[in-house]
This record gives sequence, C-alpha cells and structure tokens, in this order.
Amino acid sequence: MSAATTVKAADLSTEARQGLQRAIQSLADSKRLMGIRYSDWLLGAPSIETGIAASSMSQDEWGHARLLYAMLKDFGVDPAVVEHDRPADAYASVDALDQPFPDWAAVVAGIVVVDGAISVALESFAQGTFDPARTRVPKMLAEEEFHADLGAAWCRRLAQGSGEARERLKAACDAYLPTTLAWLAPADDVAGLLSSEGIMEPSPEIRARFEATVGPLLELVGIDVGSVKADRSGWDAARGRGKGAPDDESVARARGDLNRTLLVE
Amino acid sequence: MNEQIYDVFARKNRGDALRHIGYLDALDDELARVYAWKTYDEEKWFEMCVVPRRAIIGVNRDDGPWARQARGVQP
Repeated sequence: MSAATTVKAADLSTEARQGLQRAIQSLADSKRLMGIRYSDWLLGAPSIETGIAASSMSQDEWGHARLLYAMLKDFGVDPAVVEHDRPADAYASVDALDQPFPDWAAVVAGIVVVDGAISVALESFAQGTFDPARTRVPKMLAEEEFHADLGAAWCRRLAQGSGEARERLKAACDAYLPTTLAWLAPADDVAGLLSSEGIMEPSPEIRARFEATVGPLLELVGIDVGSVKADRSGWDAARGRGKGAPDDESVARARGDLNRTLLVE
Repeated sequence: MNEQIYDVFARKNRGDALRHIGYLDALDDELARVYAWKTYDEEKWFEMCVVPRRAIIGVNRDDGPWARQARGVQP
C-alpha cells in the first residue's frame, strides 16, 4: 500500500475518526499490556541476559504505548485520563495479554504471535495515509526488530529442544493465535472503513502479511497458520477485540494506581 | 543447551576505535546479537559487534582470559 496523500485526524469523517481512535487505542493498550507481561520476566527468565532483554523490551513497549496514547490528543481525548483512569473492561488490548504468561514457552509464543501481530498492524498503519503514524511508527518498528529476533531465536531453540519444550511452545501458540488473528484482522465495519480511507490495509492483506512474517516460525512447531481460524466469538466492536478484559492487578499496574498520589502530568 | 561466552565490541562514532565494552553468555550467535544490543544499550552506538570468545586468538601472552579460552580452558 502506498500513500500518495496523507491525512490528519481533523480531515476525517466522524465515523472514520472514531474507527481510527479505536485502532490507536487498541494498539496503545496492547503495547502497555505487552510491556507488563515482559516485565513479569525481569526475574525468572532462563538467563541474566534474557532477563535484561525482557526488561529492555518492556521499556520499549511502554515507550511505544506512550507515543500511541499521545496520538489520541488529536481526537479530543486526554491521554492522561486514558492512561490512568480506565477500568479493565475499557482496555482494548489483544486478548492473549489478558493473563500473565505462565512459563517461558508462553513468553516466546507471546513474542512471536502477539508482539509479532502488533508489529504487523503497526507496519500497515505506518504505510497508510495517517500522517502521525507515518512519522512516529517507523522508529517503533526498528526497535521491534530486536524483539522479533529474540522471539525467532528462542522459537527455533525450543522447537529443536526437548519434546516437552516443543509441546509447550506449540500449546501456547495454539492458545494465542485464534483471538490474536481476530484482533489483527477484524471482520467488521471499522476495519472496512479504515481500509477504504487508506489508513490501514484490508484485513485479509494484514493477515497475509502476518502469515508471511510469522508462518515459517510456526511451521517449526507444526502449525500451519494459514489454516488457523480466527476466533471472533463475543466480538466487541467498540474495542476491536473479544469480550474479556485484562486481569485487574495488571490494569492497576498499567494505570499506576499505587503511585496515584504522586502522579504529575 | 550449552551457552558460550561472547565478547562485545562497539564504537561510539564513525571513525572511533572499536573498543571492548563487555561480555555475555548466549546459546547461539543470533541470541548473542540481541542480548548485546539489549544489555549494552546505555549509549547510542554507531556500531556494535559480538565475537565468540573461543574465536579470539591470543597473540602476545598465554595467561590472559582469551588465550586460556583459545586453549579450551574455561575462565
């Protein structure tokens, strides 16, 4: 997709603006939760270096979330309210991030499948017509290349490792893929509108981009991503995800509840 | 899974000397690249590279860590 002309939020119809706001909030919330899930592994990762990488990746994700939340200013939204004052069921993050990763194999699946899907969505966003995305997202994607490299290296390691390592990785990928595919490539009016405005690619093209990127890694654990059916049960069109929500403790961390009295914005 | 030691070298600006900035343990070259970038990211490096310590050949002394590693002695 090439974008000959660029647009800002004020150039869009009310419907397109609302759709774009959903997309940005969903990307920002996913980044915020992804950062929390990585931060859970600062300690307990397989090595000191891996823990440091998890720490660094969580900082990347929170930085990216900050930049994405800031884009909402153009939509008449106060980013401070969005970041610090919403209940869990208002979060539009990828469903797979609703609960902590239970083991290292799940972290690797999270990097490959979930962080991979978020990056694919951002690639599409950066190549579309929305001007702030074209200028701000490429640096995020450059940082994400290291996340993808880490995920790929660990995916290959576990896939070639013991039977249990491979099985755990496959089980986690199997668990995360259906809802992540639904989040990445929505089959609703908002996705159609964003595509017709040139802001995002059509959902089938975004899914194809994901399959081309992540498919070869998933083949290592015997998953044919092209045959995985997106799970759209309980689809919440207002948030662009399924009906669940992140756990309350993680949302309290995302909002910074413990430090609320110290909050300076 | 056996980790090995990688030494990390970097230069701050184009034309600067490449200097040794640290080391790390990694399972393979691919992970060593990522760990180096993520571990030694306190500065904005112009160039960074990692070298498996076993690939470094000591030249002028036989009691340094790289010389010992080259002979297959664990540090």
